[in-house]
Amino acid sequence: MKRRTLVVLSVVLMLLASWTGAEAKIRVVTTIPDLADMAKNIGGDLLEIKSLATGVEDIHAVPMKPSFATILNRADVLLLVGLEVEHAFLPGLLEAARNPKILRDAPGYIDCSVYVTPLEVPTRLDRALGDQHPMGNPHINLDPVAGKAMARAMADGLTRNYPEYEATFKKNLAAYLQTLDTAIARWQREAAPLRGVKFVSYHPDMIYFAERFGMEAAGTIEIRAGIDPTPGHIAALEERMRREGIKLVVRERHYPASLAETIAQRTGAKLVELPAMVGGVPEARDYVSFIDYNVRTMLKGVQGG
Amino acid sequence: MRSITQGLIVGTVCLFSTHVCAQGALGQTRTPDAPAQQLRRDLEIMKEQMRQMQEKIQQQEEAIEKLSTPAAPPVAPPTPVPASPAARDQEQLKQEVREEVLRDLQPKLSAATKTFPSQFNPAIALVIDTDFSYRQHEGNNFDFRAAELDLSASVDPFARGYAVFTGSSDNGFSVEEAAIVTTSLPYNLTVKGGRFFADFGRLSKFHDHDLPFVNRPVVLDRFVGGESRADGVEVSYLLPIEQYVTLTAGMYNKLGAENDRVDDTVPRDLGEFTYLGRAATFISLSDAHSVDIGATFAYTPRVKIDQSQDRYLAGIDITYRYVPLSQAAYRGLVWGTEVLFNRESRPVGGFPTDPTAPPPTDFKRNNAWGLYSYLEARLSRRFYPGFLFDYAQALDPGIGDTKAYSPYLTFWLSEFQRLRLQYTYVDQASTPQQSAHANQVFLQWTAILGSHVHGFRDR
Repeated sequence: MKRRTLVVLSVVLMLLASWTGAEAKIRVVTTIPDLADMAKNIGGDLLEIKSLATGVEDIHAVPMKPSFATILNRADVLLLVGLEVEHAFLPGLLEAARNPKILRDAPGYIDCSVYVTPLEVPTRLDRALGDQHPMGNPHINLDPVAGKAMARAMADGLTRNYPEYEATFKKNLAAYLQTLDTAIARWQREAAPLRGVKFVSYHPDMIYFAERFGMEAAGTIEIRAGIDPTPGHIAALEERMRREGIKLVVRERHYPASLAETIAQRTGAKLVELPAMVGGVPEARDYVSFIDYNVRTMLKGVQGG
Repeated sequence: MRSITQGLIVGTVCLFSTHVCAQGALGQTRTPDAPAQQLRRDLEIMKEQMRQMQEKIQQQEEAIEKLSTPAAPPVAPPTPVPASPAARDQEQLKQEVREEVLRDLQPKLSAATKTFPSQFNPAIALVIDTDFSYRQHEGNNFDFRAAELDLSASVDPFARGYAVFTGSSDNGFSVEEAAIVTTSLPYNLTVKGGRFFADFGRLSKFHDHDLPFVNRPVVLDRFVGGESRADGVEVSYLLPIEQYVTLTAGMYNKLGAENDRVDDTVPRDLGEFTYLGRAATFISLSDAHSVDIGATFAYTPRVKIDQSQDRYLAGIDITYRYVPLSQAAYRGLVWGTEVLFNRESRPVGGFPTDPTAPPPTDFKRNNAWGLYSYLEARLSRRFYPGFLFDYAQALDPGIGDTKAYSPYLTFWLSEFQRLRLQYTYVDQASTPQQSAHANQVFLQWTAILGSHVHGFRDR
């Protein structure tokens, strides 16, 4: 009997030890996998990271699953893109998660957009202009230079919450920024043929990518952000593409294929399909390979092949 | 004894090694005992950073030097002398710096000034809900269903508040909800107080315009009394486990906006309040398939007009969802069902509609049940066809059941504007006031103005 008690006690103690070991990690929840990858690079083994989105979703339509509420309930910090891009699911989930540590304006609510200068900040707010984002176009993760700013904001946010690991975060951030700088220099070289190329995308989410690599976002298949097209809008868009010689249509992979294909076919344009987040295609395993995939796919679309 | 000692040693060794392993990974990044190679690499990184910083400082010093060099003193004021090349360079540099700074700051400044004047005002939304209806045996009508004003804001670091005011043709102006909700309680607790939609089932908590179809299912109208509006207090608890489970307990004057058993304004004994308990969970079958399940029980110990007998109202709700992650806005399927059971003492044949008639004396303990079930597909971002089936027994003994069949099509012009066409065939007990069968057609038009937040309750 005593022996059995002892064995049970040992097992319980072992479990307890493993549990306390696991608990020592900082529980980080990110809204998108891009942030999860950055956090992995900055926090390394200090962090236990979970991403709500898998990468294949439209960031404006991530399903609000109750299981996300339990994940957020246990989070020590929340890393989000910011600029209200997560408006469709994050406020509701935070309400359900009941975790004061990660509520808006709490230290654990880390907005990774704070060091990014947003583009397309509306000068007038009106629903007639579509689903506007008052603080500017929020699709910053598609620009690797903005990605660097996001990583810096993330490291600073983590440091504010865990100053005892400041040195580690700083060191890892420096190494990660170095990796990004090297990749950015390479992308800039490789993407030279993209300069000046006009394109049409489904949603106005390629603006940061276009700005970085000198492309020109010339229109969208949607009438306005978040508003599905009408036949009249499509006809006008096709006419403009023919008139201005726009030969590239970008379909973000979470938007319907058929309409983008039809527009490309009717205007003689090349169709390229791009993920909008890490994990959007199997090749986009991490942030570097995600941007890499987008640059290469865009180049293929411009150069043919 | 020996075996006990062996057990102890083994246990202690395992315990120690597990703990060390668990901490090991952290230790690698936290302690200065990293391998020398790693240290050298870190040193190289730091050197490189230092070099880059020195370069930057040097560049900035040169720029400052250039800017602070005093311009050549003006010669004679009477005749203007053209600026020297150095001064022109300086001016140009200043201008460039100014433009660069402004370019960076302008978007942030404009965003900040836009929100500043109304920063402390609550978020405001207005919902307009109207329809044109045809009801066989009754006729046609433009129904002004509601204009609903929603306000919401944080109260302080500990609570938020919201209110919903509604004006409609049927009920005039009313406060549908006005509640305070805690945001910072420990132990995953949330307390809600005021007037709000009690946590009964699923669609009882939806405002009329948020329903997936035009009209509230018969069973909810009849058993709950429309929306589950209640004046009272509710405590909700999210279990601290990986599985999503919430438990709710509530105490209210009464349950249901159109529940006329009890008057909200008349004080009562503790036995005349309604007490509610609910448990709800969520089962993820895969990334795309999930099921929400809930069970609710509402108990009123003493209902005065029911000869002071008690009343039980129970319900089970199940919602299955298919939401393909990569096409969530364009494809999907929802199957929602609620089954309700009511037990109370009711007069045979119902309460008289004539207020001057003598009160009924023939009461009978009556069980009644009902359900609704609907299936809705998402074919594109705009088109959502669906079908609703209704069944509800009468709460009063001696009155027949009601069935209704409603195919409908919702057309979303945008996220903020919607048209809905619905046909309903009603099959009910014939009375002097109503026919046994009726065809009904509705064309509903709904729009949302202003602030719009996707709440968890309305998912």
